[in-house]
Amino acid sequence: MMAIRELKVCLLGDTGVGKSSIVCRFVQDHFDHNISPTIGASFMTKTVPCGNELHKFLIWDTAGQERFHSLAPMYYRGSAAAVIVYDITKQDSFHTLKKWVKELKEHGPENIVMAIAGNKCDLSDIREVPLKDAKEYAESIGAIVVETSAKNAINIEELFQGISRQIPPLDPHENGNSGGIRLGTQSLQAGRRCC
Amino acid sequence: MADNLPSDFDVIVIGTGLPESIIAAACSRSGQRVLHVDSRNYYGGNWASFSFSGLLSWIKEYQENSDVVSENSSWQEQILENEEAILLSSRDKTIQHVEVFCYASQDLHKDVEEAGALQKNHAFVTPENSIEAAEAACLPTADESFSTQSCETPAEQTQRSDPESSVEVNDAETAGEKENLSDDKPSEEETSENVPNVQDNTEPPKKNRITYSQIIKEGRRFNIDLVSKLLYSRGLLIDLLIKSNVSRYAEFKNVTRILVFREGIVEQVPCSRADVFNSKQLTMVEKRMLMKFLTFCMQYEEHPDEYKAYEETTFSDYLKTQKLTPNLQYFVLHSIAMTSETTSSTVDGLKATKNFLHCLGRYGNTPFLFPLYGQGELPQCFCRMCAVFGGIYCLRHSVRCLVVDKESRKCKAIIDQFGQRIISKHFVIEDSYLSENTCSRVQYRQLSRAILITDGSVLKTDSDQQISILTVPAEEPGSFAVRVIELCSSTMTCMKGTYLVHLTCMSSKTAREDLEQVVQKLFTPYTEMETENEHVEKPRILWALYFNMRDSSDISRDCYDDLPSNVYVCSGPDSGLGNDNAVKQAETLFQQICPNEDFCPAPPNPEDIVLDGDSSQQEASESSVIPEANSETPKESTDLGNPEEPSE
Repeated sequence: MMAIRELKVCLLGDTGVGKSSIVCRFVQDHFDHNISPTIGASFMTKTVPCGNELHKFLIWDTAGQERFHSLAPMYYRGSAAAVIVYDITKQDSFHTLKKWVKELKEHGPENIVMAIAGNKCDLSDIREVPLKDAKEYAESIGAIVVETSAKNAINIEELFQGISRQIPPLDPHENGNSGGIRLGTQSLQAGRRCC
Repeated sequence: MADNLPSDFDVIVIGTGLPESIIAAACSRSGQRVLHVDSRNYYGGNWASFSFSGLLSWIKEYQENSDVVSENSSWQEQILENEEAILLSSRDKTIQHVEVFCYASQDLHKDVEEAGALQKNHAFVTPENSIEAAEAACLPTADESFSTQSCETPAEQTQRSDPESSVEVNDAETAGEKENLSDDKPSEEETSENVPNVQDNTEPPKKNRITYSQIIKEGRRFNIDLVSKLLYSRGLLIDLLIKSNVSRYAEFKNVTRILVFREGIVEQVPCSRADVFNSKQLTMVEKRMLMKFLTFCMQYEEHPDEYKAYEETTFSDYLKTQKLTPNLQYFVLHSIAMTSETTSSTVDGLKATKNFLHCLGRYGNTPFLFPLYGQGELPQCFCRMCAVFGGIYCLRHSVRCLVVDKESRKCKAIIDQFGQRIISKHFVIEDSYLSENTCSRVQYRQLSRAILITDGSVLKTDSDQQISILTVPAEEPGSFAVRVIELCSSTMTCMKGTYLVHLTCMSSKTAREDLEQVVQKLFTPYTEMETENEHVEKPRILWALYFNMRDSSDISRDCYDDLPSNVYVCSGPDSGLGNDNAVKQAETLFQQICPNEDFCPAPPNPEDIVLDGDSSQQEASESSVIPEANSETPKESTDLGNPEEPSE
């Protein structure tokens, strides 16, 4: 049996750029036009194979705490990757991307895999952010970048596959596991994840 | 941000400490529309934890006494004729007597900064002052010798952190500090003489030699709590975390050792059955005595005749009547019951001992857990829970006043720093936000705190990853027992090769006066010289911080003047080791706000609520939810099959 590795992924980006829609598309292959600002969901999971491992993504949503720039540092703890989302039809959302990256560098773990998603690429006729700009920026910070459409299911799988590929292989000596106790029902099993 | 806050809520919570955060989560969970604000730029208030640079800017804030509140009185226009305002405090007054001592050698480099990051949470506010803050931190303690080297130059460039002014501003508070400088002179002089010559460049860094610049560089490895507590493994907070599922946001470590300090020696207290049997310090007879006594404590209530006669005496006197050697009495009194020798009654002691034993073994060998990344994570976890259920979060947001309806004597709105009027039905407010007018009759106690970064454990063993708690009994009448919690780097609260040590006691004087003696008994200041190989056994202090924090717990509501009935006051951190006080408080207030509502019930697996309009799934239980969204194992097999098909 293949080893399952749990990987926390946190989502960042301005309100309304489609963070939840991307997760929703990825996890449930579903899109809703009238999606309400993120309520009630704080992480979803999906498992994908990668080499001889299975990557179980625990995808954390901001729960709206980004709206007034009040994300808590605990949100970033132990993340293996971060998806930073902007809206290709809103130049502003690309500008603030840089703030999110900065915040991530400040609070996030070192060696976090960064993936930039230019969402709403189905609306390229009203595009404000050229792909070239995003690519240049991504390169400058060592992030992967892809334009996505949660609505039309474009590049969503690819986004997460890209992340999977960037995740460094498990070091048997220093596994990502902090050795912490998780409270609750499955503490035994969870305490030994990754091993 | 351009985004405006909504202006109508059910509950407004002011302050993000633990009790407030639990209330916010509970209210949001039961369907109330919650606005949760904090005037600071970080979560937790006095429950917060900081990276090293974050702590330095926190220190600076309190040392500067900056009163930069632009008294914008536009709010007054908003108060109608039939209303009156209760002004809130514009500045936090809960922290006093902040004193910093740096013993690690200071590098000459002025541009040391935290790797990869600037200071905590200032990202969007004042990114430019982080380095300044880092440097300013050594100022207050700085005797001229090293401040000239490492601090003065940068300080001159900026106005605020000019060494003299920052000392002066604090005059009242730092009176003791100046004496202290002379106390410390000998060691500091040694240090400073050596600093320029024996710098890092002349010899390669030895093992165990940690410089101040390393601490700065690795600053992000630190998560330094303002309040030092542990979770009893069967305490109310653990129960609440599990019940509410908030536990999924945090991970914990078991405290590995209970220590005792006696006659100048630190020893480990055997407390579990296995410990007792394996103990080398105890004789065979003592082992039997202790086991017998502990077994009795587990069910003391069933044997009233054994202690009834001693109900009026102290626990300490009661122990003397038991078949226990002085050694064992000391263990039980100070390390297991952790009660006061002079004031705790027999029943209190038995109760505390029973609670200790009851908590043993649930997660490990001691009754305590500590959250990875520090206690400061816990308020944030509850805030996330609140946000997940729709609560709105706004840090750096201060509230000018509460608006009270004259007729009904109820609070109906707040007016914030921007003059926005936000109405609500209930208002939860942390004590420190209330003005002196409101609190004029309140008598606060104080906590004395010290935070040390050291280079070794107080009790070295094979493993350098121990988490320990040690109680040092009060020495003289009028002073209080000091609780010492030593954290290793695997708790994610300090950098490798260091320990983070928290000392806490109830105040009788300033923090330094209360705690310095204990610090000196357990540790020795770090010096550059290898002190003639005097065989230094004590761990060395690299850096130390002392401060007093207001203890606003257990204050009767009646002491606050003129508070409307729909304004509820939460206290700051209390002096207790556990968190029961915060949980009890939160539950009580929640029940006043939402009578008959369940307190943080197990959510319908909120993570799995499907984000579509289909309301039938909103309240879905685990099983009916789309498999991928479920984090439980039973669905694993469904997950496994999944990846192949969607890769269209």
